[in-house]
Amino acid sequence: MAPATDSAKPLVELRDIRKAFGGVHAVDGVSINLYAGEVVALLGHNGAGKSTLMKMLAGAYPVDSGETVVAGQTVDIRAPSDAQDLGIETIYQTLALADNLDAVANLFLGREKLTPWRTLDDHFMEGQARKVFQRLNRNFTNIRVPVRALSGGQRQVVAISRALYFNARILIMDEPTAALGPEEAAMVGRLIKQLKTDGVGIFLVTHDMPDVFALSDRLAVMKNGRLVGTYRTADVTEDEVLGMIIAGKRPERKAQAEHA
Amino acid sequence: MSGVGPTSAAEHADVPGDRPGGHVWQRAGLDLRLLLMSALLIIMGVVFHALSGGVFLSPENLYNLAQQTAVVGIVSTVMVLVIVARHIDLSVGSVMGFVGVLIAYLMYTSGWSWQAASLAGLAVALLVSMYQGALTALLGVPSFVVTLGGLMSFRGAAFLVADGKTQPVNDEFFQRLGGGYDGGIGVTATWTLTALVIVGLFVRLAHERTSRRRHDMPLEPLWRDLVVTALPCAVLIAFAWTMNSYQISSKPEPQGIPIPVLIWAVVAGVLSFLVHRTRFGRYIFAMGGNPDAAALVGIPVRRVTLLLFALLAILVTLAAIVSIARLNAGTNSLGSGMELYVIAAAVIGGTALSGGSGSILGSALGALIMQSLDSGMLLLDVAIGKRMVIIGQVLIVAVVFDVLYRRRFGER
Repeated sequence: MAPATDSAKPLVELRDIRKAFGGVHAVDGVSINLYAGEVVALLGHNGAGKSTLMKMLAGAYPVDSGETVVAGQTVDIRAPSDAQDLGIETIYQTLALADNLDAVANLFLGREKLTPWRTLDDHFMEGQARKVFQRLNRNFTNIRVPVRALSGGQRQVVAISRALYFNARILIMDEPTAALGPEEAAMVGRLIKQLKTDGVGIFLVTHDMPDVFALSDRLAVMKNGRLVGTYRTADVTEDEVLGMIIAGKRPERKAQAEHA
Repeated sequence: MSGVGPTSAAEHADVPGDRPGGHVWQRAGLDLRLLLMSALLIIMGVVFHALSGGVFLSPENLYNLAQQTAVVGIVSTVMVLVIVARHIDLSVGSVMGFVGVLIAYLMYTSGWSWQAASLAGLAVALLVSMYQGALTALLGVPSFVVTLGGLMSFRGAAFLVADGKTQPVNDEFFQRLGGGYDGGIGVTATWTLTALVIVGLFVRLAHERTSRRRHDMPLEPLWRDLVVTALPCAVLIAFAWTMNSYQISSKPEPQGIPIPVLIWAVVAGVLSFLVHRTRFGRYIFAMGGNPDAAALVGIPVRRVTLLLFALLAILVTLAAIVSIARLNAGTNSLGSGMELYVIAAAVIGGTALSGGSGSILGSALGALIMQSLDSGMLLLDVAIGKRMVIIGQVLIVAVVFDVLYRRRFGER
């Protein structure tokens, strides 16, 4: 968790980030920052480049050019494990679960706890998993069956638990409520508010306008790989946001916001 | 559900009543598929026994059957992992032939010791696997294509090593590795080993239960755990007893467990350990279950794939050693067509060609089913053409069963 004194400095600064696939500029000179205890909603059409931008921060894609600064340090994130070491956790829209493994194995996937003999410490992992799953859903007990057998909400719990258990200080959530029922979506909303209070910085990639206005402090809109603008959520209306997403038109006489 | 992944072993049984229909036996690692295959094996044995006039289930035939299955069985164990990780290796037969001839050539023509020759063979196998593995893991060329090329090339290489000449293997100790006349470990060693394994299984059970209690995990009823542990022990005792009942008339003592079968058992044990207890095994299953997720959570996919190919090389070398020791020679046709038997054993044993699911024990049963069918029909004088037709169709039946089974139980 970032100490309160750091709140003057951004937790994450992305500066002039670029990424091209073949000849297509998926992300074209985007700069954006995120403070501790803040939720920044990232908006835009499919293909606007928001997921690509987040995947670069998560280490899934290398950046072509640009600078990434985390807690004041310039960092080079080349692999998901680099991002994890910096406290960056990602909840993908696809959830990134191995369907043939159970919930415990998925929670620790890539970061298994080992015994002194370098074997998997299954009992430790199962015990820890039970605790973290309980926090999110008290009825979730069938944690030893392959996750393909679980409900959408339970699968989401597994994916979110990864971020919780490994103490994310920067959290990327890609459409966290898209596949959920109303009750589960409300749970995710409460969780986001809880994490905010704990000082976690959250990038929220979403299409859902009620979520944007209920949960985010600032919002950033992307179109065709470029950043249209970054505003305090309280300063703009839904129509203005839609105008940015659809037409790439900045609202008149509204100041952009580099911080909340 | 069990047998489908590293987390499905008996020790992971969850709270009773947790899962709809999660009956105490279903959580025991005694899954239906393995039980059905065991039943099939027993039925085949009884039918062949009756048709062959009491020959098939004789200790002599079972001894030979077991040691004949070992070579395919050894390679099948690792083929399971290769297929689970969504790869395939069609070149195992050719590489085994190449390495086998090379080891025999170094011993016979170059006069090397068997140890030096075997190490050289292993080195060459590792080079071959790193070449094929690098093309697959680093460049992303489909392993099907890479190893299809290897299937041709390394068969050719097997010919080139000794210019097509058969290389006899004369070292007496080395020959024992392949089983045969002096290839059993004897009565005392067989019983000692059996006793040790049984003690080991119960010690593991006790350790498991203590550990679960210490971590406040739910425990299965003791009687259930005892039955689940006693069952393999009973099979083991029956096997040891059978192997100790086979005595070659010119020898003072019965044969005991054949060395190639012992090697196979150790290999299967080690690979089961890798699957259930190590990161390596878990990553292989994760890569097969969802390759994108595996990469996104930071699994070093390339390194794990290369390690998998290296493991394959080690076991192919071991199979080559057992094979030339059994035949007392390395020939350029060694292992021809073996890739099909190996893959078939894995598939009959419940390994899904779509990846993510398979078990080592299943591959052992699959290999035994294939070999029993082949030997049984040979015993009944079924012509080679008919045998091939039947075995091919059995493979298809196995895959159809697999598809229906997965559909029935909600797996992909």
